[in-house]
Amino acid sequence: MSGPGWEEMVSTALVGTARRLYRGELLGDAAVEVVRRRAGQVALDVRDRERADPEERAAVSWEAAERLGRILGGEHGRVLGEWLAVAAGSGRRVPPHVLPDLLERGRRDRSIRAWLGVLAGRRGRWLAGLNPAWAFLLDEPTGESWEYGSPADRRAHLRAVRAADPAAARELLEGTWERETPEDRAEFAEALGVGLSMADEPFLERALDDRRREVRQSAANLLAGLPDSRLAGRMARRAAACLTVSGGRVEVRPPLECDAAMERDGVRAKPPRGIGERAWWLQQVVARAPLRMWAEPRVMLGLRISDWDAEVKAGWVRAAVLQREAGWARAMFAHDPIADLLGVLPPEEQQELAAEFVKNQDMDSQLIMVLGGVEPPWGAGLAAAVLNKIATIAASQPWNLGELARLAGERVDPELHALAGQSGAAEVAEVLRFRAEMVKELGRKELGREELGRKELGRKELGREELGRKELGRENA
Amino acid sequence: MSVSTATLHRVISETPAQTARHARVAAGLAELERWLGDQVRLGLGQAGDRDWDDLVKRLVDAQAPGAAGLVARLERVRAAAGWPGALLSEYALLNLLAVAYRRRAELPPSLARTVLTRVGFTTSRAEVLAEPHVVDRWLVLGVRDEPLDHVTARRVWLRGQATGRPALILTFTPAAHPMDETPPPGATLEAALAFYPAAAPLRALVVDLDGEEPPGFVLPPGAVEPGPHGAFPAPDGLRGGSSAAGLGSWAVSVEEALEEVAGAVAADPWTDAWPLLLDGVVPGRADLGGLPLCPVCHDPWRLIAVSGGGPVTVAVEWTPLGLRPLTVWDDDARPVPL
Repeated sequence: MSGPGWEEMVSTALVGTARRLYRGELLGDAAVEVVRRRAGQVALDVRDRERADPEERAAVSWEAAERLGRILGGEHGRVLGEWLAVAAGSGRRVPPHVLPDLLERGRRDRSIRAWLGVLAGRRGRWLAGLNPAWAFLLDEPTGESWEYGSPADRRAHLRAVRAADPAAARELLEGTWERETPEDRAEFAEALGVGLSMADEPFLERALDDRRREVRQSAANLLAGLPDSRLAGRMARRAAACLTVSGGRVEVRPPLECDAAMERDGVRAKPPRGIGERAWWLQQVVARAPLRMWAEPRVMLGLRISDWDAEVKAGWVRAAVLQREAGWARAMFAHDPIADLLGVLPPEEQQELAAEFVKNQDMDSQLIMVLGGVEPPWGAGLAAAVLNKIATIAASQPWNLGELARLAGERVDPELHALAGQSGAAEVAEVLRFRAEMVKELGRKELGREELGRKELGRKELGREELGRKELGRENA
Repeated sequence: MSVSTATLHRVISETPAQTARHARVAAGLAELERWLGDQVRLGLGQAGDRDWDDLVKRLVDAQAPGAAGLVARLERVRAAAGWPGALLSEYALLNLLAVAYRRRAELPPSLARTVLTRVGFTTSRAEVLAEPHVVDRWLVLGVRDEPLDHVTARRVWLRGQATGRPALILTFTPAAHPMDETPPPGATLEAALAFYPAAAPLRALVVDLDGEEPPGFVLPPGAVEPGPHGAFPAPDGLRGGSSAAGLGSWAVSVEEALEEVAGAVAADPWTDAWPLLLDGVVPGRADLGGLPLCPVCHDPWRLIAVSGGGPVTVAVEWTPLGLRPLTVWDDDARPVPL
């Protein structure tokens, strides 16, 4: 075909044939050209595209992936974390077609990212390389080595080694400690919390002189959990200077100053707003002093404490948590029900104490906080107590039910869905049934502790904040 | 109008009511022709939304709803990048339709029928069912629902295994009513279809075994049951091995696809959708196997994720603006709706 080309037709039509001469019938010619171009389309020459590496892990079943799609779509959205934890814990990955929705969720919700490193598989990392919005995935642990992995890989590696062989993990860390960035040192120091023993003491004592405050704080917290550590000894002497037991009374003289040695041992000089300096120092000294320096908790709590009662007891609460002393945790929980204390106790006892607490506690935020500290899965005893509470509240103040019902749906052992059905908590029963099917599809019975570790860490932080608020309230009172 | 009544009767036998309608349509399309001529004379930029709205109303009044529908989408055409070329394309094809209608007596019967359909004349079900029935094993390439004013339009794209023919089952459901169950993408069904007569036949009705079209889209006996949420098990022939092997009898190469589209466009220049099953294509962010994706389909992440950068079998809808991906088959030959 000779004559005007398409571009010329378009530009002529744009200004109009009244102003620019066109030989022939423009609309007719254009129709021929349009059809010619549509019929004569050819494929562009696309160069070889980079391919994703083959996967190493098996994918979860199609049914499981399909359920994940529904959860991401909003059906029982709160169980997303459990789905991811169980799937990641089984060492599998998601099939590729779910990846865009999952990575898009990860982009908006940081809390699920830690699981995506494993679950997204190599296909996921390949996609993250194509779409900058998903680049966060490249920072999540994937199982690479200590020497060459990303910071997240190395943290995961260190945690894994520590769980299997604490001494090997410490030696690994000592080998590279001087070369690590301050951020990594802080993260790594915290990883020693698992399998902590006196063998770690010299290393941690040195870490008290680190340039980074977070490192010093982690080391101090860990050393406070070792009653035979030098730090514990120094704290014991400070505490003994503050508290004198005589004649059924405890005389309290809080520190007059926070000297450099105290700061080195992790005592923070500057109190949070609303707390007096001496009260703040006292509380921290008591919290870091070995609990075994006192008499039995039953005895100590029976004594009259002059003036500084609230600070001393807040210190013991914190000490019970830091030193993981079950006896003190039990006693302090009776005195002051705080979720953190439950974390020190074995799961069965957590649930017994919580069940007892639920029976006698009104529906309030403390009830939710305490139950939030009880690790899943909740067995029949606690489940029955909570379902009972739900039934009571449903009758008297149904508007107050939401959070408790949601928590029950997430934490109660899904195998107990029939129990929930009988108690009339239909919504809870439905979530439990959904979770039971989900766990079955993923081929594992329950959510292990390890997978929940990160989630729990988040909750602990919350618990500490709550502790802070309580301290503040007491100070004000 | 210079077309003799006798010629018209050879194309389609008319009742007096139809003759009256043709007179109105002819007047409406003659006006459309004059209007389009003015646009090209005065310049493409001078017509606005209001002109198009008025034109749409007049074409509806002239009982040419098909032509009205083509004008109604001009607003969207002009909103997109590169609108002068796109608008000229639309004007040219509208003009072609008006001219073809005026001169339909000179066209081969099937093309004359296509022109009438595009203008807005409907074909009765009885007429469609009187067409030869095409029996085949049909693969569902994709399902798409489009909410319109008071109804939902559902398009089910099919391709036949033995005949290699594409088909479109178009059903309308009142907005308040639940949609009929439709076999999901990747399902196959043994069925007889009756195609609407056209130069490039595509739209069809499902005929049941008694030769009557069932209400809605009902699976003929023996067809597989649809599963929920696209989790449809691959039919026996599709299970195992590479997807390309299982779907081989339905799929075509890019070159074959382009040839087929060329044939359809040559037969019906107003062709605006054509379903294809492409074999061994690698998706990019703006193309699929070197064929451009339509602009709203750019970054087809799910498709890219399933491909992993390698060749996959993909069901698409060809449109003049580019391909719209419908379904991809993953490594396990599972259909994944896109």
